[in-house]
Amino acid sequence: MLGTAAAEGPSGRRGRWDVLRVAVGATVAVVAVGGLVVKAAHGGQTVQDLRSRTPVADAELDDVYYRCLDVQARSVVAPGRPVLIEGPDFGAYVTLLKAVGSWVTIAGHPSPSDVALSIDQRGGGGSCLGSVVVARQRGPDGRRTTLVGSGASVPGKGPPPPPPL
Amino acid sequence: MTLVPGAILALVVLAAAGLLPVVALVGLRWATVPLCPLGGAVMAAVAATCCLGIGASTMTWFVLAGASAALATLAWWWWRPDRRPWRAPAAGPAPHRTTGLAAVVGIGGACAWCLRTLSTPTVGFDTRAVWLMRAGWFLQPHHQLVTDMSSPGIFLSQTSYPPLVSAAGSVAWSVTGNHSMRLGVVVIALLNTCALAAAAFAVVECGRHATTRLAASTSSGRGAPASPGGRRRAGALVVLPSVVAVVGAVALVFVTFAVAEPFMTNGYADPLWSLAAVGAVAYGLQAEAGNGALGAAAVLVVVAGMSKDEGAVTAVLLLALLVVRRLLAAGPDRRRLWWRPVVAGSVGLAFVGAWPATVHLLHLRHVSAGGSPASQYVHRAHQAIDGLAPYLHVVVLAGTLAVVGWLFLTPVRRAVGMGNDAWGWAGSAAGSAVILAAYVTGTADVPSWLTTTAHRVTEFTALSGWWIIALWAVTASAAPALAGAATLSRPRPTPVAG
Repeated sequence: MLGTAAAEGPSGRRGRWDVLRVAVGATVAVVAVGGLVVKAAHGGQTVQDLRSRTPVADAELDDVYYRCLDVQARSVVAPGRPVLIEGPDFGAYVTLLKAVGSWVTIAGHPSPSDVALSIDQRGGGGSCLGSVVVARQRGPDGRRTTLVGSGASVPGKGPPPPPPL
Repeated sequence: MTLVPGAILALVVLAAAGLLPVVALVGLRWATVPLCPLGGAVMAAVAATCCLGIGASTMTWFVLAGASAALATLAWWWWRPDRRPWRAPAAGPAPHRTTGLAAVVGIGGACAWCLRTLSTPTVGFDTRAVWLMRAGWFLQPHHQLVTDMSSPGIFLSQTSYPPLVSAAGSVAWSVTGNHSMRLGVVVIALLNTCALAAAAFAVVECGRHATTRLAASTSSGRGAPASPGGRRRAGALVVLPSVVAVVGAVALVFVTFAVAEPFMTNGYADPLWSLAAVGAVAYGLQAEAGNGALGAAAVLVVVAGMSKDEGAVTAVLLLALLVVRRLLAAGPDRRRLWWRPVVAGSVGLAFVGAWPATVHLLHLRHVSAGGSPASQYVHRAHQAIDGLAPYLHVVVLAGTLAVVGWLFLTPVRRAVGMGNDAWGWAGSAAGSAVILAAYVTGTADVPSWLTTTAHRVTEFTALSGWWIIALWAVTASAAPALAGAATLSRPRPTPVAG
């Protein structure tokens, strides 16, 4: 009978341990890389889906809507004039803030001379999907004036589909 | 200026501002390229903070911050010529250069392919309402910025979020003269992708370090195989971790787009803080703790901390972990230099804390409206875990691999120089705990809150799970080469008659 002295000692156990470690290592590597590749394929599909017609159309409508509100607001607010952004509700307030918040001069402590900017719902031509920007302000003679935004319009009704939150 | 030239110019300006300090911290390596624009974005965030807290304009402070950082770097290199990056040993052996180039082509190509989603002109809800609205504010002078931030007419508490994303958009608008939402979104998407590329390169570097260590162990002494065939096979096994790392890093680019979905390219700040934090964990806690890796971790942790509130709290916890790991890893000869990681951590903390401290000191927007009563914590925690769990299935796979790896592959991980896996899990747990704590202690109704946020706020935990998986793939692929080296270096058994 031929045997090895080391095979029965620590060296042999280490050899078996190495074989086990290689086998486990190969399994872990295959499972890990496999998981990554499967999820990566999902990522590739996600990229394709985001480029499909529906998200593009929704995004373009969203962009046109906010650009329309922006143009209308610029038509009723003089540069540098302090502005109060108002409703009539929280949704309209946020919509207006999204459209003009980056460039208007926000009023610090509200005063009667500030321009109050809001959105009104009005059908027909000249609106942005049924919304128009309205500026209400008090003139030097104390009379209140209301200006309706102009210069851009988007036909249709209702806000654009909401973007993902 | 039109969109594409504008985006390129904005990225070049940000990269130029960040170039010298990032090179000083990270050295000359491929990951430095995507880190430079992120360094510039940090400058922009510092500039916005100074504009708010001190005066003048954000762009004035941006130029000052960029010039000061560049001069300080040049002075450092003049004072310590041994720290000049071009004095560092170059690239390494040919296989390293090959895998390095493969990683650049693979990661760069994958990022470019995935960025095709920018052809859909989506501008996210928060992008208009918070991130790019404030980009416009940061273009206004100090007194108007303070008014914007404190006006009782602005009801959105999110306007007090950290400034990095908005400030980078502000710089882009300023240097191009193009104040469109679209340009802002593209620049934010490019910064997200820079953070992604930098984090992916961390995996590549782990693979290269593993290969270097394996090459050293197989080529030294009795470990070297004698026959040409044996040498070829041993050489192939040694390179395996580098190859697996490149494959894993490229896959991680696609995985990130699968996890983040539209938020990667619609101007949200969540991918930026999440990816920067994942990169900081990878370089600072999971990889071999060299100076360059720690420099990359430092840049990324500051980016995470200056991007969003949850990123800021996570960054503070990650800074603590980075300092503790550095202290524990110091040998007896370096223990007396314990103050170095503490000072470095404090500098990072100063960057992350500058904005919230300024907002607090100026009594600007108050975010806190009290918390939920402690009696509701358990119920809210249950609701939050139920709502977040569907986005975190990857944790099961990562956890399983980690347990198996811990049982069988710990010596391999140690031999190839990677950090203990527990560090990576500690980093991931830190970010996850921050998110969970927000839901538990917040006042909003948890189910409706989850509906609009769960996808985005789980990005860090999910992505760190995928990075853990990729690093176990690299570790596991080193097992055959290590076993071969061990077998070859072992005394050959003597046949005996029995």
